[in-house]
Amino acid sequence: MTDRYTHLVNTGFTATLAKRLGLPQPAILRRFSAGDPLVPGPVLVLGPDTHDGSDSDAVAQHLLGLDLDVHRSPSTGTARWGAVVLVLTEIERVEDLSEHVLAAGSVLKQTARGARVVTLVREPQPDDAPALAAARQAVDGFTRSLAKELRGGATANGLVLAGGAAAGGEGVLAPLRWFLSARSAFVDGQLLTVGPADVPAQDDARPLEGRVAVVTGAARGIGAAIARTLARDGAAVVCVDVPAAGEHLAKVANEVRGTALQLDITADDAGERIVAHARARHGRLDVVVHNAGITRDKLLANMDAARWDSVLAVNTAAQLRINDVLLASDLFRDAPRIVSLASTSGIAGNRGQTNYGASKAGVIGMVRATSPLLADVGGTANAVAPGFIETEMTARIPFATREVARRLNSLQQGGQPVDVAEAVAFLGSPGAGAVSGQVLRVCGQNLVGA
Amino acid sequence: MTVLPPSRTVTGPPPGTRVETLPSVPGLGGLYVRGAAGSAAAQIPGRTTATTLPAVAHRVEGVRVDPGHLTSYQHLLGETGSDALPSGFCHVLAFPVATAVMVRTDFPLPLLGMVHVANAASVLRPVHLGDALDVTAWTQDLRAHRRGTQLDVCAEIAVDGEVAWRGISTYLAKGVHLVGGAESSDAESSVTADASDQESSGEVGASVVWRLSADVGRAYGAVSGDRNPIHMSALSAKAFGFPRAIAHGMYTAARALADVGARRGPTYDWTVEFAKPVLLPGRVDVTYTTGADGAWTYAGRSSSGRPHLAGTVIPNA
Amino acid sequence: MTTSPTPSSPREAYVLGGNRIPFGKVGGAYARSSNQDMLTAALDGLVARYGLQGERLGEIVGGAVLKHSKDFNLVRESALGTALDPRTPAFDLQQACATGLEAVITVSNKIRLGQIESAIAGGVDSTSDAPVAVSPGLRRALLTAARARDLPTRLKAFAKVRPADLAPDAPRTDEPRTGLSMGEHQAVTTARWGITREAQDEIALRSHHNLAASYERGFQDDLVTPYRGLVRDQILRPDTSAEKLGKLSPVFGKRLDHMPTMTAGNSTPLSDGASAVLLGSADWAAARNLPLLARVVDAETAAVDFVHGHEGLLMAPVHAVARLLTRQGLTLGDLDLVEIHEAFASVVLTTQAAWADDDYCRTELGLPGALGTIDPAKVNVNGSSLAAGHPFAATGGRIVAQTAKQLAELQAASPAAGPFRALVSICAAGGLGVAAILESVPTTEGDPR
Repeated sequence: MTDRYTHLVNTGFTATLAKRLGLPQPAILRRFSAGDPLVPGPVLVLGPDTHDGSDSDAVAQHLLGLDLDVHRSPSTGTARWGAVVLVLTEIERVEDLSEHVLAAGSVLKQTARGARVVTLVREPQPDDAPALAAARQAVDGFTRSLAKELRGGATANGLVLAGGAAAGGEGVLAPLRWFLSARSAFVDGQLLTVGPADVPAQDDARPLEGRVAVVTGAARGIGAAIARTLARDGAAVVCVDVPAAGEHLAKVANEVRGTALQLDITADDAGERIVAHARARHGRLDVVVHNAGITRDKLLANMDAARWDSVLAVNTAAQLRINDVLLASDLFRDAPRIVSLASTSGIAGNRGQTNYGASKAGVIGMVRATSPLLADVGGTANAVAPGFIETEMTARIPFATREVARRLNSLQQGGQPVDVAEAVAFLGSPGAGAVSGQVLRVCGQNLVGA
Repeated sequence: MTVLPPSRTVTGPPPGTRVETLPSVPGLGGLYVRGAAGSAAAQIPGRTTATTLPAVAHRVEGVRVDPGHLTSYQHLLGETGSDALPSGFCHVLAFPVATAVMVRTDFPLPLLGMVHVANAASVLRPVHLGDALDVTAWTQDLRAHRRGTQLDVCAEIAVDGEVAWRGISTYLAKGVHLVGGAESSDAESSVTADASDQESSGEVGASVVWRLSADVGRAYGAVSGDRNPIHMSALSAKAFGFPRAIAHGMYTAARALADVGARRGPTYDWTVEFAKPVLLPGRVDVTYTTGADGAWTYAGRSSSGRPHLAGTVIPNA
Repeated sequence: MTTSPTPSSPREAYVLGGNRIPFGKVGGAYARSSNQDMLTAALDGLVARYGLQGERLGEIVGGAVLKHSKDFNLVRESALGTALDPRTPAFDLQQACATGLEAVITVSNKIRLGQIESAIAGGVDSTSDAPVAVSPGLRRALLTAARARDLPTRLKAFAKVRPADLAPDAPRTDEPRTGLSMGEHQAVTTARWGITREAQDEIALRSHHNLAASYERGFQDDLVTPYRGLVRDQILRPDTSAEKLGKLSPVFGKRLDHMPTMTAGNSTPLSDGASAVLLGSADWAAARNLPLLARVVDAETAAVDFVHGHEGLLMAPVHAVARLLTRQGLTLGDLDLVEIHEAFASVVLTTQAAWADDDYCRTELGLPGALGTIDPAKVNVNGSSLAAGHPFAATGGRIVAQTAKQLAELQAASPAAGPFRALVSICAAGGLGVAAILESVPTTEGDPR
């Protein structure tokens, strides 16, 4: 599961050689390590600052409060920039963009490895004046294009404030901090919509402290990484997988100091058993991660019922059935979180995966419709759509195909299971309470289906 | 009503027996050479042989048991590693002294070819490792038998001047007719009768199975000193008319005694009558039954039901 | 039902959960796994299921029947390989096939006495990796050579070694005092009680079907953790039938006058596997949100004189149960579940035949009359050793864990009834038999947990 190429082009002689040959030079991404600063250098906060209490000022004040080196204008300091935050929530015309984006552009050659650009903009509304809508929508295209231009593991993402979300509120600031952090390493070119929900301030070091999380398919790969990441963030984790995967499941459960629950999620009583276990053993249930999934690839022309039905049953129907139990349970009432694993195949489609693509698109539809059902209790439902992730499964893809798949994104490499896990942990955290019904892609800005 | 075994009714050498004290326990190897020579001499046609047993007892005083020897014996037979000498071990201790009597030139029967048909032994007082043992052996009661001549080879072990163990081994010299008179009862037939009693008692199967490997004869030969060629190997046994090596009768009887185990108590009588020899390697199915008086009877048969041995172990409460 | 220790009455010990690895057949999935490997896996699965990582338990007690001498501290060494606190003490215990149940009894008693709050009782056996010893001759030579101070003495030690001494000494499962295998012993008992071939095959069939059904309904999901790619017991044959079982040739009792009835199908094969049972006091369990599956009520161990043929080798549980029920003032009718370890199908039948025999119960058990009969629907309801296999020391843990869970299910299904009672009966080599009574824990009102 190691990407030897990325290692070679970043070290010693082979790095020099790669540069001479003009080979793609994927960077080693900045990933989370306890104790590292939020960003690898000073933060430049740009955006209209015409009045006291402007959005850009609120953001800058918040970042200052985190002991970061915050600047409001480009300067010629010696340190490389760690992040640029473009607070464009108060722009009204496309002409307003120029000053701020060009200021941002002026520092791009002096950014640190793994730097971040984050844009903040308000969601265009149908009743916006055309000029306002154009300005707001422009930020979308700007952000995605900028993401493709950045190098050295830097990423550009955006927050789209909807429904009057306050730029200085935790509902926006917590996602902002996550985008700035190393935890979003493989998320690039994404725009995440943030609603107006009231979100309490959270401690990013242990955001899930005291929370109980269930992870299905936790025995291996991405599921195991999710269990580890949730546990790292403070959650007590119930690791669920089919009985046949019990040996690995036990290892993961012991590693994260959680509990193992051997269970086939397609069983009629799977939801009840999950709730019963959480209730009996932990007394609460806060986060459910629907990670378990299967692939049974075949062209539709050759598809049999078993392949089609089993993929839909595991990847979609089981999640729906478990969610019904969760929604009806008195245990799932304290700002609960549902995070489902979707896939870029469910967004862009993939040859030979009509069943899988359908199931994952179904998941996207499901979280969108589940989201309002949880709003009353401060709950959210979201999906994470991984792109090419280096797992045991992708390791079995033939070399040439794998090499191409890996490089077809702005970061020119495959992601790690932990990158998906970070996104899941973020969406499972209290701080993501204003993010709901969304699909967060963890794909390094894959070229297809963007 | 249990009939007392001869090891309880005999009380020392017959009157008029002269006791010859040997300086130490004689080596059996040398005795066999003498015995074989004597046997050969006894077979010389026209040689006049004695028709009475020598009125002599051999005696060795102050015999000490070697702990390693005792342990080897106990492990081989399945006895517990107690410091109390099993009756069979007492037999082994006395055997060379008794053999010394039987290889005397005035002993009337050939040593080789004599068949051990029955044995009775009594532990009258517990004998322990570390006791100084006075071993006395003699022969008595030469008598006519349907198939030759029988006699008893008797041995006593005394501790502090008191007899603690006595063994009576009955031998048959086949085809040697030295004396007239009433023929004694046939041991084999009584074993057979015993065995058929067992079958009719409604018992299902054997209690215990012995699986005897081909080297059991050599192993018992090593601890008992009885290296009679018929026990040592198939080849040497063939020389004496057996298809394969045969197990020592006393080995099988001592196994049965060990099987009864702790419930024989500290003092007990132990008898055996031998029927068909056990060919090696071989399997013996053994049945144990106990009566209300605590007396054990045992019978060992081949898988086809042919009797090998039968006997009793009677605790002296 | 919380109890606290008082000077006059011991408190209660509860079964809180269990775990085992699927049982493999000899030379099968665990052919290269050691006892320590398997026991560690069973313990780790238990720790994972109940979230006991880093927990310092009162004690871990268990053992193996076939044990290498290097495994003198098998259970402690296994414990050190788990996610438990390494300060958890452990010791080895061995009582042949009853090792696992005896371990449960032992730790229960310690919990009841207040000496410990929590424990794991376990057991493991490998017939694939059984210890093979050198012959006594070679062993003596090796030990002498090891003690020798110079080369000549060392070489001299080996001069006594005969070619035959080089052959290894394989472990024997025959009874040391009778030379008979357990199957040959039980064949005698089977014939003595007139048990038919058909009745034995029926027991075997039901065992396979019951165990397969328990897997199908997910009952085993929180009792078994796969190991080395094995997900279910390797000898389990869900599709076996009376016809298939009826075609097998007898393997035991062929030397008896009676028609032999015991086949490979109605006798338990040699197996590899491990099991572990979590026990604790009510307080300890409550502090960790662990369910009280069943209370360990009482236990009794018996032995019979099989050496001289008076009683069958595997009949000791008949005696143990009689004494246990008498002491508890119970009858067979008071039991809701009965687990009789299926060393052989006929053990299930001879055991019950003896209890139903008036004369036998009077003369051998000292009872006023027959102990009675048991509804077959209550016996081994989730299958037993004929279907699961029987890694000697692991069987007790398997039975106790699944019986405790079954009791908890009965209780949950009828909250107003109970307590429900189960009898566990395990026969063992050496004429040993161990029996225990478990009881479900009625949920107190207002405590849905």
